[in-house]
Amino acid sequence: MNHTGSVDNSASEIASVFVVVQASFSLVAGLSALPFAIVEPGFRVLGATTILMAAAIFWLARNLRRERRWAWRWLVTLEILSLAMTALLALLPIGSIRGPVPLLVNLVIPLAVLVLLAGAKSNARRAA
Amino acid sequence: MYDIATDHASALTAALLLLLFVVAFVGGLRFLSARRVAWAVRVTHVYEAAPSITKLAAALMLLSGGIHLALVPGHEGITGVLFVIDGLGFIVFAIAAFLTTWWRRPAVLWLAATILAYIVWVIAGWETPDQIGIACKLIELVALGLLMRLANPTRRTWPRRLWRATSFPLMACVTTLGIWVGGLAHPDALHAHAGALLQPVAAVATPEEQRAAAKLLADTRASIARYQDPAAAIDAGFKPSPVSNADPLRHFVNSANANAVLDPKRPQAVVYAQTTHGLQLIGAMYQMKRAGQWGPDPGGPLTQWHQHEGICFSPFGFEFSFETPFWTCPVGSTSITTPPMLHVWIIDNGKNGPFAADLDKAVQRQLTGRP
Repeated sequence: MNHTGSVDNSASEIASVFVVVQASFSLVAGLSALPFAIVEPGFRVLGATTILMAAAIFWLARNLRRERRWAWRWLVTLEILSLAMTALLALLPIGSIRGPVPLLVNLVIPLAVLVLLAGAKSNARRAA
Repeated sequence: MYDIATDHASALTAALLLLLFVVAFVGGLRFLSARRVAWAVRVTHVYEAAPSITKLAAALMLLSGGIHLALVPGHEGITGVLFVIDGLGFIVFAIAAFLTTWWRRPAVLWLAATILAYIVWVIAGWETPDQIGIACKLIELVALGLLMRLANPTRRTWPRRLWRATSFPLMACVTTLGIWVGGLAHPDALHAHAGALLQPVAAVATPEEQRAAAKLLADTRASIARYQDPAAAIDAGFKPSPVSNADPLRHFVNSANANAVLDPKRPQAVVYAQTTHGLQLIGAMYQMKRAGQWGPDPGGPLTQWHQHEGICFSPFGFEFSFETPFWTCPVGSTSITTPPMLHVWIIDNGKNGPFAADLDKAVQRQLTGRP
């Protein structure tokens, strides 16, 4: 068992809720691709990949609550990747972020998770 | 597909002002507490003693309450009354979180009931889902998730553990699907179909507009007649879009014409139908350079531009699906909004007419043998 020590449970708990929200949205995105997969063969692969990824994120959220260090690392990596992709897509003239909902889902929630994860780690360091 | 309804815009301002007020209020409390003002010391003590998860859940409920109350003026009848009750309820629970021990369960029920009521309203067509409503449900979902984490289970039987693990993701999925179903079942007047937003125009075309529309159709037909053979279009610089199993229409795009504005001599694309005997020229497509930049509509309501939004585009195989109301797409695809476009169909486009966003279904079936 690889624990982060006495991680601030509150920060981890809140972060895990945000991560579960993200995983749920990924799950629906994956499921929503399946009807299109009837005529779009590429979306069969993308839909299945998204559902598997959602399951993995649920698993990471569960293990974050259990204070597993590897879950913390994976989530930090995923959230940074997600933010980088959001920044990149926002720079392209494709209208990927328009309005409060994409801003909350693609920017505010990943940022909040990163801040909470950083807070959880610094609290763990202080306690050690 | 999901815009901000005009009568909902005030809620966005209210939410931002409320957030600023809460930050200023907590800062003010701490300031007074540092100066030993008795009541401020007591309130600060209660606030500081609460776990972070409670504070965040209370803040989110307060935010949702504020948004509901700000939306009351735009909602008449039973919806307005429910918004008042809901908004006040959230504010009461946000305060009760710091003062009582019984608040959690009723607050969970209140949040779940509010989310489910919204889904019912949207599916019934009593409320059009827009970004403010969806953002509000996102706030409530997060608050619900936080409150569910606050539960301290005494009996850890398997059914209870399974329920605890699945109930929140299930609620998030049901909310997403509910909003989606409602949005697709009751699109507003400016959505020709899911994912296509129409340019706002007058209801009736004037005689001048009718003449201008007929001229645009005739000029376009005359101009693109030289591309009956797809090879001629390719020689002229038009590049065929990839073959898609989902779409029997193929757009040949000429990037050299990108700067032209509704110029029949220089359309941005020519459109072919994939028929059983090869590609058949059926029209042209004019396109503006940027999303939201509507083009000139000489025919008024007859030449109404449209832009595609809420589309998940995958560069792998050039495929499309719809994004969810929470703006998520499958991994490997991204949400896109196209610049406005105007199709000019040079064949008889049935009841849809020569400038419709889509080819008439019956015409398409007759041409391609596919729906």
